[in-house]
Amino acid sequence: MALTILLIDTDAERARALEDKLSESGYARVLRAEGPDLAAQVERARPDLVIIDMALPDRDALEDIRSVSAASPVVMFAGTDDPAFAQEAIAAGVCSYNLSGVALQDVRPILASAIALFQRYRNVETELAAAKALLNERRLIERAKAILMKDRKMTEPDAYRWLQKKAMNESRKLAQVVADFVAEAEDQQRETKP
Amino acid sequence: MSEVLALKRERSGPRLRIGFLRLTDSAPAIVAHEFGYFAEEGVDAELLEEPSWANIADKLAYGFLDAAVIVPPLAFAIELGSRGVSQRLVIPCNISMGGNTITLATALARRVQEKCEKQGHSVPQALADCLGDQRPLPMGIVHAYSTHNLLLRYWLATAGLHAGHDVRLSVVPPARAVEALKSGQIMGFCAGAPWGEIAVRSGTGINVASSDDIWRAAPEKAFAVRASWAEEHLEALKGAVRALVRAAQFCDAPENASYTGALLSRQKYLGVDSHAILSSLPGGAIAPDNLSCFFRGAATFPWRSHALWLLEQMRRWDLIGDVDTQSLAARVYRSDLYRAAVAPLGVSVPMTDSKSEGAHDAPWSLEATPKPIAMGPDSFCDGAVFEDAPAPVSF
Repeated sequence: MALTILLIDTDAERARALEDKLSESGYARVLRAEGPDLAAQVERARPDLVIIDMALPDRDALEDIRSVSAASPVVMFAGTDDPAFAQEAIAAGVCSYNLSGVALQDVRPILASAIALFQRYRNVETELAAAKALLNERRLIERAKAILMKDRKMTEPDAYRWLQKKAMNESRKLAQVVADFVAEAEDQQRETKP
Repeated sequence: MSEVLALKRERSGPRLRIGFLRLTDSAPAIVAHEFGYFAEEGVDAELLEEPSWANIADKLAYGFLDAAVIVPPLAFAIELGSRGVSQRLVIPCNISMGGNTITLATALARRVQEKCEKQGHSVPQALADCLGDQRPLPMGIVHAYSTHNLLLRYWLATAGLHAGHDVRLSVVPPARAVEALKSGQIMGFCAGAPWGEIAVRSGTGINVASSDDIWRAAPEKAFAVRASWAEEHLEALKGAVRALVRAAQFCDAPENASYTGALLSRQKYLGVDSHAILSSLPGGAIAPDNLSCFFRGAATFPWRSHALWLLEQMRRWDLIGDVDTQSLAARVYRSDLYRAAVAPLGVSVPMTDSKSEGAHDAPWSLEATPKPIAMGPDSFCDGAVFEDAPAPVSF
């Protein structure tokens, strides 16, 4: 018997990819839900399993559903002996609620698909964010050095050492110190300009 | 670039990953982080904004977070394994008192306020009068295991209103509450600042009560740490408490309100209008109708009697089963850790672990060392007094 799965994910592309994968496999009928009043949508759809993007605030609303099964929904593998699998899911940013008490071995392949897919999307996002942060940090360091070289007549290595020392003295990260330094310098520049 | 990376790897102490939600009373953790208090106290803190209490609970339970700014009932639920996998937690300090609003849809709130004025009724009584055949009135809370659920139910019950019969409580994430109020999905909600104020500013709702109208000086957020982290890094834990207490002093000083408001309004923290945040910060508004307290009146002390009151209310509403609340409160609320942590700061600490909750309807002086602490009133809206039964034993 195919399980009914309610998928709550605002990333349309990822949701469609997962829907396709699960439908193809034949062990699941996939429905989608979104927006406000999710609890009511879940109660209407009466799914066996809810799969939800952990970046959404709606998980708190799902935890309170009591009318689908007798008790409240079971959060991902609570009470089972598989913390590693749950950890993998959390790291990927996806969570599930078992609403009908379906056996773990039946939902496990479904969740594995969801985790793999979320993982793939997350990796792309993380790489992109890291690349952006690194670029921005470099740009700010260059800018801070330029300000020091111009205003305080420092050489480039001295300017860099000055910033490093400032970060160390304030026990803060260089990136933070540099960002604040540039913001302050630019504020001052604006003020002194007529 | 290699120099930059080397510097970044230099850590100032054990890493402490702290989860928080987009709420005004996350302020002490944000201030402690931004001002470098954690670093100064030997803690390499990392602040992680989470979109839901469920994420906070799961990430604490599975070790993705070491600590969180949390509603204490959820900390008990995690400790007991009531909503998922369990994890032992300790609360070495409290974060805030007060700061929640009960916000009703504008039209309903007007009718309630009119009844209060004309007939001299209390607000919950007036609400009961307005309900008529509108029962059950749909209202939002932020999580089943929240202070909001307990405070709202307590307040409603004083006018004979009961969840399930007169009011239908459902969980609505605060960031969705204004939208839900506008669409009529709910007719009111109880949530932490700034969300009531945001509803007011959008013209959708009116705050008819605050935490203070239910229980003055009510405990709100606490700092919960995984017990295993605390045991492994005892000195850093004490450092984190000191950093938070220093930040609480900063957040409580009226002259710092606009600074704190601006800091919190940043996109990476609350990402909302700083005026909505200011309205519940000490010194942030001329006539505040909802106020968070961070330091005054022993606000950072983890009172055993607070824990026991919350646990009793959890039992009252069937959120916990038959639990030995005394030993649970003693295990989680660790005044011994608080005392050891703040000693170097010279901050006054209460002589006892519990106090009579609700016994003071005027300012009073609390026996503390080295100096007594000036306390505000702590009365309940129904005049109840809650006593912690046996004499508390300090660790």
